[in-house]
Amino acid sequence: MIPDRIIEPNTLTTDGRRAEVEVRIPWYRALPGSCIAGAVLRIDGVPAAEDSLRWTMNGRTFRFDELVDETGEWWFPTDSAVLSGEVPVEADDAEHQVDVDVKLYIPYIVIGENEVLHIEEHDRKTMKAGQR
Amino acid sequence: MNHALGTPIQGVTLYSFTRAFHAREYDLEGLIRKVAAEGYGPGLEVIGFSSFRGFPEIDDRFAGWFRDLVDEVGLVTTSLAVNADIGIHRDRLLTQDELIDYMRRQIVAAAKLGFPIARVQISLTPDSMEQLAPIAEEHGVTLALEVHADQYASHPRILALRDRYEQVGSPFLGFTMDWGATVSGFAPSLLEAYRRRGASEELLAKVVDLWNGFYEQGPPADQAEHGQRFGAFIGLAAQNGRPDLGIDFGINGTGLFGPARVDDWLEIMPWIRHVHGKFFGIDEQGEEPSVPVRDLIALLVDNGYNGAISSEYEGWHWNHWQSPFDIIAGEQAVQRSAAEAAGSRMITDAAEARAILDAHLRKAVRA
Repeated sequence: MIPDRIIEPNTLTTDGRRAEVEVRIPWYRALPGSCIAGAVLRIDGVPAAEDSLRWTMNGRTFRFDELVDETGEWWFPTDSAVLSGEVPVEADDAEHQVDVDVKLYIPYIVIGENEVLHIEEHDRKTMKAGQR
Repeated sequence: MNHALGTPIQGVTLYSFTRAFHAREYDLEGLIRKVAAEGYGPGLEVIGFSSFRGFPEIDDRFAGWFRDLVDEVGLVTTSLAVNADIGIHRDRLLTQDELIDYMRRQIVAAAKLGFPIARVQISLTPDSMEQLAPIAEEHGVTLALEVHADQYASHPRILALRDRYEQVGSPFLGFTMDWGATVSGFAPSLLEAYRRRGASEELLAKVVDLWNGFYEQGPPADQAEHGQRFGAFIGLAAQNGRPDLGIDFGINGTGLFGPARVDDWLEIMPWIRHVHGKFFGIDEQGEEPSVPVRDLIALLVDNGYNGAISSEYEGWHWNHWQSPFDIIAGEQAVQRSAAEAAGSRMITDAAEARAILDAHLRKAVRA
């Protein structure tokens, strides 16, 4: 697993209302949207509201409940996705602590009746916020 | 002599270079050229969903580009690792028809890309393998189901597959032997990684003792015993003030370091079509300290194995302080030395590898 690379360094941006950061898959192979079960975005310890979170990959933007049935778009191992949400952050010269959790289903590892393995990975990096 | 000694084909899976690919240090073409230039081949194994964007859909133009590249650099495609993504829908598992179709598309991709083997996994049942046999035959792709820790050759699920293979009688059904099922020690490089995460020497010694105890007992008889062992690692971490390491100890201690003995592979030896030369590191003496590489090579040579061995370096999960490239070269040197010690050799010439692999895959079990 590759949790240390989830947050792409120096990709935090804000438009004053929404913050976004590029994220990388902590796994060795591509997974479809349906296996991306959720994420958490926190800036300086403040979480973005869950219903404000959006996931952008392959040029399309999804709410997490829209990813549930998405087997057409895949998160490829060398691609960045973008995680965004409503959380305040100043685009100043200050360093901000960014925390991202991602929860993934691993669709080929069956661990029980009608159940496959899920993994929850976390990364924390510090960076400045750029204006968008 | 009852039979000729085997001459396994040297090779590598690109999985070994996961961190370098994921870090965008090498793209697929760059990695393939590196494998050829550094002599990790001639055998080349690729994981479809790791390396090919849009897999399993492969268009003609991409397939042509890939095959031309492999030919140009003098490699030989051995196995395409495919996945049975039974849980791809969040709310339900695939139906049997959907699963067979999902696998069919990947078998077609393997054929199109020039891989004679598709590595499949334990989630496929004997019934699924029987259903897939004619599809494999139609496309000329051998299905080699991976025997990986926490399973092992004499595990009831593997024996059930073997028995079904025997009934079906298709030369297109077989196994991939993964050396992770027959590990002889807890990998020192992983202990070093825990040390770097602040684990005490006392705790690490206890982890080693716990694993060694399981090694003495042999592999777990069933999933319940596997679960108990997993729980023992979690308990050990908690009792020693590092509950944060417990799941990691359990996953690696039971899922990567399988404690079966080398000769357990004899249960399925005639059906072994491909090998994952799973390993975790190379020590100062140039040896693999926790995988009995020399004994495994001797077993394969003695039993006339002429398929490929993909060096599969798994230490990349935790070893961020050493380059995988030197470590893999070191493990392949051990393989070659072991084959010579067993009175044979590893095949490193591409043309010879192609001919031997072709003959190996056409030889039906007990034909």
